[in-house]
Amino acid sequence: MKSVKNANYWQLDHKVKKILEVKGVTILPSPRAWEKFNWTRKWFKEKPKEGYFVWVKKQTSFPLTTCVTIASPKISQNLTNLLVIEKNIKTEANVLCNAVRGNLCGSHRAQGKLILKEGAFLEYNHFHKWGEKDSVEPNYEFILEKDSKLIYNYQNLLPPKNLRLITAFHNKESSSVQANLVINGLNSKTELKESIFLEGKNSQGILKLRLVGKKKGQIEAKSTIIAKSPSKGHLDCQGLLVDKDSKISLTPELICQNKLAQITHEASIGRISEEELNYLRMRGLTEEEAINLIVSGFLKS
Amino acid sequence: MNALLKIENLLVTANGNEILKGVNLKIGPGEIQALLGPNASGKSTLAQVILGNPKYKIKKGKIIFQGKDITRLPSEKRVKLGIALTWQSPPAIKGVKLFQLLERISFKKDYQPEEGKELLEREINVDFSGGEKKISELLQVLSSNPKLVIFDEIDSGLDIKKIEKVAKIIKKEFLGKKMKVAILFITHSGGILNFFKPKITNVIVKGKIICKEKDYRKVLRVIKKYGYEKCKKCQLLAA
Repeated sequence: MKSVKNANYWQLDHKVKKILEVKGVTILPSPRAWEKFNWTRKWFKEKPKEGYFVWVKKQTSFPLTTCVTIASPKISQNLTNLLVIEKNIKTEANVLCNAVRGNLCGSHRAQGKLILKEGAFLEYNHFHKWGEKDSVEPNYEFILEKDSKLIYNYQNLLPPKNLRLITAFHNKESSSVQANLVINGLNSKTELKESIFLEGKNSQGILKLRLVGKKKGQIEAKSTIIAKSPSKGHLDCQGLLVDKDSKISLTPELICQNKLAQITHEASIGRISEEELNYLRMRGLTEEEAINLIVSGFLKS
Repeated sequence: MNALLKIENLLVTANGNEILKGVNLKIGPGEIQALLGPNASGKSTLAQVILGNPKYKIKKGKIIFQGKDITRLPSEKRVKLGIALTWQSPPAIKGVKLFQLLERISFKKDYQPEEGKELLEREINVDFSGGEKKISELLQVLSSNPKLVIFDEIDSGLDIKKIEKVAKIIKKEFLGKKMKVAILFITHSGGILNFFKPKITNVIVKGKIICKEKDYRKVLRVIKKYGYEKCKKCQLLAA
């Protein structure tokens, strides 16, 4: 994400600073979409206070970008977002939620619904960059209709003080999701709850978690795959503890309700290998540089 | 001659076991030496201790490099002074590509190696063959511009063609006209020595250097004939 200058939607505190519509894509503040399009009420449930509505009706040749920023002290955002990708449309979305400074004590709550219609494809890159005193609670629900495909990448570049991230994926027939969540738990408390519901025949879901506990970081992750139909799912949860004051708790859960479904998981938590650390130090890296390099590799693995 | 590296009466333990029992070694600038020894004689431990691996505890003795006592210096500072080591069995670093490490450690900007380019985009030592690991190790020590390189079993597990290739790279990069780097070859089989003819060949047995000989061929012959176990009885034994 280069800058907010390229954003299609930019909200600063509670104010919509910019909307850049492109051909075939409707972008509105969520309260306005509630008023203008009756059908959105099925998804919004009640009139939103703030947030964005993005409706992709035609193919775009570049990624759609949204940016929601906290810039003033003690701001409490309460967003309701809706993203709808029409049938057979392929697109990419870059989503940044951030605070401009570390000491704003902001609160960011977001309820999001993302609908991928039949045959749609979405690569959704979700970046968080918060201040060390912020509190963040995103709750996203992805509806994947028949034959749709989602690649979801979440990365918290700078963690807030408290992060509670709830994500649910509902997979209809022959749809697939690959979700990759990278959490750098640096002096923060993180609670993750991800669920993949394999509802349709031949649906697929892969959930990959890479968690790093560093500088008193506390991470608790509960990941669930529920197979309700002949489907396939896999959980891959790995944690890396960098110091003794951090804690990672992983709870992978598989619930199989169909005898033709195949769901698997692997989970592990380890610490940095002394051998790797010494190896890199013998190449001239300081202990901190070596740890950072090993951690960055782990998060990419 | 002033020694580049001087090791005095080094006594080292790991997990309470004495591994090096009073090692003395001196290597001059640009000098090639060899260290031979049986399995578990302390060869790799000596290399790791010279580079400052904190796993090993130095109970007694000193390590001097360019006149400076580096016995308590952290590894990265020893590397900055100009000491480099190729590991016998380097660990895999998942998710980190070789070029990413080389970018961080290289003394030259935009360092482009002639050999091993195909390894640059791969994760360090992940699924590397034996030969690829050796080339990767060579690239890493090359990029640090060393004054002394310790090659720990650079010839182990390689066929004669690969040993020849490794020897060619070492000659070209470390023993060229512009610079002469001091080298310590640690070897079990001695295969690499035929390409370099070391000035002194040391033999270490049970944590002590028991022999220092100018003619490496003699040492290899004796080891071949009597084995390391009988090395102590050999007429080449140094005082």
